[in-house]
Amino acid sequence: MTKIIAGIDVGNSTTEVAIAEISDFNRPPRFLGSSRVPTTGIKGTLSNIPGMALALRTAVEDAHIAITDLDLALLNEATPVIGDIAMETITETIITESTMIGHNPGSPGGMGIGVGQTIHIQNLVSVRRGEPVIVVIPKAYDFEVAASLIKRAIEAGIDVQGGIVQADDGVLIANRLPKILPFVDEVGLIDHVPLNMLAAVEVGDHGQVIRQLCNPYGIATLFELTPQETQMVIPIAKALIGLRSAVVIRTPAGDVQTRRIPAGTLKLIGDVRTAVVEMDGGADAIMEGLAQVGQLQDVEGAAGTNVGGMVERVRQTMSDVTEKPLKAIKIRDILAVDCLVPQKVSGGLAQEFSMENAVGLAAMVNTDQLLMERLAQALSQEIGVPVELGGVEANMAILGTLTTPGIDVPLAILDLGAGSTDAALMVKGQPVQSIHLAGAGNMVSLLIQRELDLPSGTNVDVAEEIKRYPLAKVESLFHIRNEDNSVRFFQEPLDPKLFGRVALVTKSGLVPIPTEHTIERIREVRREAKRRVFLRNSLRALKTVAPLGNIRNIEFVAIVGGSGQDFELSQMLMNKLAEFGTVVGTANIRGKLGPVNAVATGLVLGYYERQRAR
Amino acid sequence: MAQLSEAVVREVVKEILAQMGNGSASASAVPAVSNGDSVADMTMREVGVAKPGTASDEVVIALAPAFGDKLKKRTITGIPHTAVLRELMAGIEEEGMKARIIRVWHTSDVAFVGKRGAELSGSGISIAIQSRGTTVIHQRDLFPLQNIELFPQAPVLDLATYRNIGRNAARYAKGDSPAPVAQISDQMARPKYQAIAAVYHIRETEFVDGSKKPMDLEVRFN
Repeated sequence: MTKIIAGIDVGNSTTEVAIAEISDFNRPPRFLGSSRVPTTGIKGTLSNIPGMALALRTAVEDAHIAITDLDLALLNEATPVIGDIAMETITETIITESTMIGHNPGSPGGMGIGVGQTIHIQNLVSVRRGEPVIVVIPKAYDFEVAASLIKRAIEAGIDVQGGIVQADDGVLIANRLPKILPFVDEVGLIDHVPLNMLAAVEVGDHGQVIRQLCNPYGIATLFELTPQETQMVIPIAKALIGLRSAVVIRTPAGDVQTRRIPAGTLKLIGDVRTAVVEMDGGADAIMEGLAQVGQLQDVEGAAGTNVGGMVERVRQTMSDVTEKPLKAIKIRDILAVDCLVPQKVSGGLAQEFSMENAVGLAAMVNTDQLLMERLAQALSQEIGVPVELGGVEANMAILGTLTTPGIDVPLAILDLGAGSTDAALMVKGQPVQSIHLAGAGNMVSLLIQRELDLPSGTNVDVAEEIKRYPLAKVESLFHIRNEDNSVRFFQEPLDPKLFGRVALVTKSGLVPIPTEHTIERIREVRREAKRRVFLRNSLRALKTVAPLGNIRNIEFVAIVGGSGQDFELSQMLMNKLAEFGTVVGTANIRGKLGPVNAVATGLVLGYYERQRAR
Repeated sequence: MAQLSEAVVREVVKEILAQMGNGSASASAVPAVSNGDSVADMTMREVGVAKPGTASDEVVIALAPAFGDKLKKRTITGIPHTAVLRELMAGIEEEGMKARIIRVWHTSDVAFVGKRGAELSGSGISIAIQSRGTTVIHQRDLFPLQNIELFPQAPVLDLATYRNIGRNAARYAKGDSPAPVAQISDQMARPKYQAIAAVYHIRETEFVDGSKKPMDLEVRFN
C-alpha cells in the first residue's frame, strides 16, 4: 500500500513541491524530492496551472519517478488572501515664474557666492562699470569665447559676480578667468532665465553643499527682504537643501511652492470602530489608526483623491483576479510606508529633481475557497492525478517547520513571503493561531525601485536583485571593496564592463548595477526598506498571535518563506527581537532545505497524520 | 585709463559681432563650438620620450601616428582634428582632471594605442584616437583588445560625443561609475564608409615607425 504523495504550495512568488513516499503508517514519510519554481500569474487563479505543472515535473525528476507514479497531489488551502501594492506622492514642488534653479550638475565651476543683475553675455559690453552682474551664457557661446568675453569685461571694470551656463562648461569657463567666480552649468532651459533681475549664484566647495541659498535668512540678507517676504522664500530654501550649486532669481511675481497634493483621507473600517486618517499624516498616522480599529473589515479612500484612486485600483485588480464583483472585495489589511522619492520639479529650468514625500500602500483582500477548489480540479485534469485540498496553510507551515532539527513546540513561525507576512503560533493542546498581513518582499522591491528612481516596468528586476544580494564597488580590475569595506582581490582581471561600477555579489559572479548612486546610498535604501516593511510587519504579526499580545510570551520564533533566505533579514530580526528575550532563527526544513518548502512538506506530513489517526 | 577701457570695449564689440556673424552664417549647422572651421589650427611638438605618469589626476590622450598634423587633419566625416582634440581635453578639464597628450608611433591599431597610453597614464585611463576618428577608452589592467568603452563607428561620432568621451574617461579616472556615452547606431555607416575607412587606416599605418617610442606632445591651439 505504498503511496507517493506530492504537496504543492502556491505562493505569491514561487510554487513549491515536496514529494514523499508513505509505505507504512508507523514510520514517518520518506521524502524523495522537492522543487521551487516561479509562480505563474496571481496566486489562486487558473493561470497558476503551468507553474504548478512545471514544479511537479521538476520535483518528480528530482525524485527519479514519473508523474504518473503519483497517487495523490495535495494543494494548500491557500491563505485566502492576495495582496497588491501602490504608491503615490503626497507633496509636489512647483515653480511658477521661475525664481530658482537648484540642481546638482556633475561639475559646477569655481566656488563662492555672487549677487547681481542677470545679463545676457552679448550685452556684457553695455553694462556700466562697477555694476554687479551675473552672466547668462547660452550654449552657442564656446567656452573659450565666453571666458575671453568675461575676462575682458572684468578687465574693463565690470563687476562680474558669477554665471549661469547652458552647456556643461562651468569648470572650463571658471578655469580661464583671473578670479574665482561661481558658475552653475547644465541649465537646459536657459532662454527662460529672466534677464535684468537680481540673482544670486552659489557653488559650494568640493565635497560640500551650498550654505547661503538654502537658508531663508541667507536669501533675505542677499536680497534685502522684509520679514514678510522672508516667509515666502521658505519653499525655495527647502528645495535647495543638500545641493552643491544653486541660483535664486528675484522676480517680481515669482514664486516657488511646495504644494501638498490633496492626498485625501483613508477610512479604516474595523470591527471595533471606524477611523478616518489623513494621508498627509504619513504612514505612522495610518498605522496608528489601524491599530485602533481592531480587526479591519474594509478600507475606503475618499473619492477623487490620490488615495481614493489607489484603493480603487487595488480593488479593481483583485476583482479582475477573483472574478468577484467590485463591491464584494474587502480589504482586510494594509501596510503603509513613508518614503522619499525623487520627482521632477514642474516648471524647473534645469530638470531639477526634488525629494518628495510619498506613501506606499500594500493591501490584502480575502478570497474564497471556491477558487482553490477550481484550481485543484483544473490541475487534476492537467496532470491526470487526483488533487485534494490538504489543509490550512498556517498549520501546514508549522508542521513543515517542525522538521527543522532542534525545534519543538511551543513555537511561533514568521512566514516572510513575497506578497504577505504571515505569523502562526502553536502551543500544545490549543488550536493554531495565525494572521496574514499585507506587505512583504514585493513591497521592499517597490520601495527600493522608487527611492533609487530605478527605471520602472522593465527594470523592477534591478530593485529585486538589489534586495537580494550584497553590494561591492569594483575599484580596479583586480580588486573590489565590499559594502562592509573589506577588500577582495582576484588573480584574473575582472570583466571590463565592471570597471568602476557598483556591483552585486551574486552566486554567479559580479553583476553591475546601472545606476549612479553610491554604494552607501543603495545600502541605506535597501536596509531601510527591509526595516520598514519586514521589521514593522514581523512585530505587528507576532504581537497579534502572541499570548496576551505580548511578544515576550513567545519563546521561539522560526523564520520560513522565500524572504527568509535574505542575507541580512534574519540578523535584523534577531537584533530587534532580542529586545524581547525571544529566540529567532531561520528554519531548516527537513534539515537541508533552509526556510523554503515548509508548507509543501507540511502538506505531506499533515496527510500522513490524518491517515494514521484513522 | 579711460581710453584703454574704451579700446577694450571696442575689441569686445568686434569679437561679438564676429561671433554673431559666424553664428548666422552657419545657422543650419551646429552652433559655434561644433562649427569646426571656426577653430584655428594647432601646432604639435614632440618634447621627449613619454614616461609612465605619476599624477593620478592625469588622463592620457594617445594619438595614432597620423592624427593631428598629417594628411587632411580631419576625421572621416570632415571634423578637424583640432576641434576633436579640443573637445576631448575640455571634457577632461570640466571634470577637474588633467589631459596629457602622447603620440604612439609603433602601431596604428586603436586598441594597442590605447593600451600603451593607459600604461603611461598616471590614472591608468587613456583615450586613444585614430585619424579617422575611431576612439576607445582604455585601462591599463585590461588586455589590449578589451576596453572600457569603444566607439568603433567613426562616422557617427560628433563633437558633442567627443566631449562626453573626455568627460567619461575623466570620471573613470576619478573612480566614478558614469553611464556609458550614448552612441548613434547607423546601419548605413558601414557600407557607406567602409572603403574610405580602410584607406584612412592604410594611410595612417604608413606613418607607423616600429622602432620609435611613444612621445610626449606639446599641443598649442592657435
